[in-house]
Amino acid sequence: MASIKKVPALSAAPPLSEVSVLGWMQKNLFSSVFNTLLTLVTLYIIYITVKGLWVWGIADAVWVADNRRECFEISTDGACWAGVIAWLDNIFYGRYPRQELWRVNLGIFFLFIWMTPLWLPRVKAKISIGMTTVFLYPFLGGYLFAGGEKGIFMQIMLTSAIVCLLANTIHSIIGIFSGRSLPEFISSLSGKKNVSDKTQRNIFLGFLALIFVLIFVWQMSWSLERVPWTKWGGLFLTLVIAGIGIASALPGGIILALGRRSRMPVIRVLSTTFIELFRSVPIITVLFMATTMFPLFMPQGFVLNKLVQVIIAVCLFNAAYMAETVRGGLQTIPLGQFEGAHTIGLGYWQTMGLIVMPQALKHMIPNIVGNFISLLKDTTLVSIIGLFDVLGMLRSISKDLPWLGLHKEPLVFGAILFFLICFAMSKYSRHLEVKLSTGHKN
Amino acid sequence: MTEIKDQETAKAGGQLVSAASAEVIIEFTQVNKWYGDFHVLKDIDLSVHKGERIVVCGPSGSGKSTLIRCMNHLEEHQSGSIVVDGITLNRNLKNIDHIRTEVGMVFQNFNLFPHLTILENLTLGPIWTRKMPKADAHDLAVKYLERVKIPEQADKFPGQLSGGQQQRVAIARSLCMNPKIMLFDEPTSALDPEMIKEVLEVMIELADTGMTMIVVTHEMGFAETVADRVLLMDQGQIVEENEPGEFFNNPQHERTKLFLSQIL
Repeated sequence: MASIKKVPALSAAPPLSEVSVLGWMQKNLFSSVFNTLLTLVTLYIIYITVKGLWVWGIADAVWVADNRRECFEISTDGACWAGVIAWLDNIFYGRYPRQELWRVNLGIFFLFIWMTPLWLPRVKAKISIGMTTVFLYPFLGGYLFAGGEKGIFMQIMLTSAIVCLLANTIHSIIGIFSGRSLPEFISSLSGKKNVSDKTQRNIFLGFLALIFVLIFVWQMSWSLERVPWTKWGGLFLTLVIAGIGIASALPGGIILALGRRSRMPVIRVLSTTFIELFRSVPIITVLFMATTMFPLFMPQGFVLNKLVQVIIAVCLFNAAYMAETVRGGLQTIPLGQFEGAHTIGLGYWQTMGLIVMPQALKHMIPNIVGNFISLLKDTTLVSIIGLFDVLGMLRSISKDLPWLGLHKEPLVFGAILFFLICFAMSKYSRHLEVKLSTGHKN
Repeated sequence: MTEIKDQETAKAGGQLVSAASAEVIIEFTQVNKWYGDFHVLKDIDLSVHKGERIVVCGPSGSGKSTLIRCMNHLEEHQSGSIVVDGITLNRNLKNIDHIRTEVGMVFQNFNLFPHLTILENLTLGPIWTRKMPKADAHDLAVKYLERVKIPEQADKFPGQLSGGQQQRVAIARSLCMNPKIMLFDEPTSALDPEMIKEVLEVMIELADTGMTMIVVTHEMGFAETVADRVLLMDQGQIVEENEPGEFFNNPQHERTKLFLSQIL
């Protein structure tokens, strides 16, 4: 006899051991004598560690004091955070002139404003915003940080950056409220409907040109005091080096990776040599090469400042690493995708830009962010060659007379600082992965 | 329309469609190809006329896929000449890109772009290689999606569609380029049996419009009803070439008889 189920079985609730806390604990922590023992030992170790940290770092710690001796007088076995607090400005900004600090803050604020639209779902033209962040913001930020006389090139770029920042901001605000782009909005002001893409673009460019001229005239009238790079330091310097490194490593890495897979032998050999050369050398060696050896090869009187040399070295080094990450991602793309692209007539760059890279980059997000995190941490090595980045600053606290010998607390503070930044980055990468993977399974 | 009629009459007369009036659109002359030491294509001579439907069959490894992949230069041949739509295929990249816009291709594994929606998959080619305005490309894509009967899937991603639907999207993607020739490389081999039919139906409809089609397939039913000519390939050679009636009922070559006995 054939049996046929007429009514589908009702879904029952899972057994209690799967859902209740006690059930979970029994299954995972106390399932056997050995496991129970292991759980108890682990709990004990966690307890003494956390308790030690709590007592040293918080319960017995000294928050307000004028010098280290005072710290000792208040508490002998607690942390002396007063030293770190007294040095906070130095840790964040190094020896940047105190009355000019607003420039650093403003620069960072502008970067924030510039990049926020990238996270707003309703704002259009995210790619342009991203590109201008990489190519135009550095002029605005750079001038704010460094100041000095503006050459004609700097004036043009600075003006472009300001125009772009304005356009970006207005564009984003319009985007949030109406979901339209700035060009659409401007042409809609004229009252005509159905303006073609081309006229829309022309009107938009006209507007930009007008604003450009206005701002150019305005910016001629002022300039900022020069702050030499030797005064830059602290977390600010770390972020400048790492930021430029991050912004250039990805494009550089993509170009190198494509070069390594190129069918043209010269390009392939050059890319491979570059990548392998930089990957086989520790970054500290590259930094020493850049700062001490490189000037020897240059003609007499050719002086490049040390910071620029360091930044170039960091960029090249990380581009080489990124190239291998990108190459790994490219290899995950099946040949069929290239063939599919070829059959609709896409050329090499179109295939790469429209089909291959978007997919490969998505696969690579965890690795790319991993690279960024190690880049950020690697920049602390510049303290060895005499730049006072955040680590350099933390270590100078112990040489400051009132806080002589204060080693532990600044480094713990540094660890927390780095953890916060790196953890945020890795969380964000997780978020990106989840967000980008929806509905794209194949 | 008249072309179809011509072919119908030609078929009725028991003749191959070698009517001198029909224009030759693909011409293979003494084509040879090697993968390393392996000689995949041996002295292939073949001409395909405009509007002709050709089915290529043969055992695996016989070179049938390679044959049609040479037609849009996904594979490079080493000797002989291939002329497609009046253009000789050689290393000239411009020619190749041009040929590829004229020759559509459908793959066994669909090769849709998983990161783009169905609609974006379809409009990509027209927008980037035909430089078509976005709105026009959109209308075109919708038109072809309706033709392959899945307009409601336009905003989904390929991964959310069944195999048969994906293959129909792939056909629509090629058609959006308004190609002169369509190549099909085992379009139904990766599909579940129930989905094969829906894809074949779309292909038959396409054949009715007079499209030049070259189809590598094991679907002998399709070959019998649609093809003007059936080729059997074995070990890199075209062993037998005949109209479907003769090919299936009265095969000349021993290899064809063996092949048919195994597959039917």
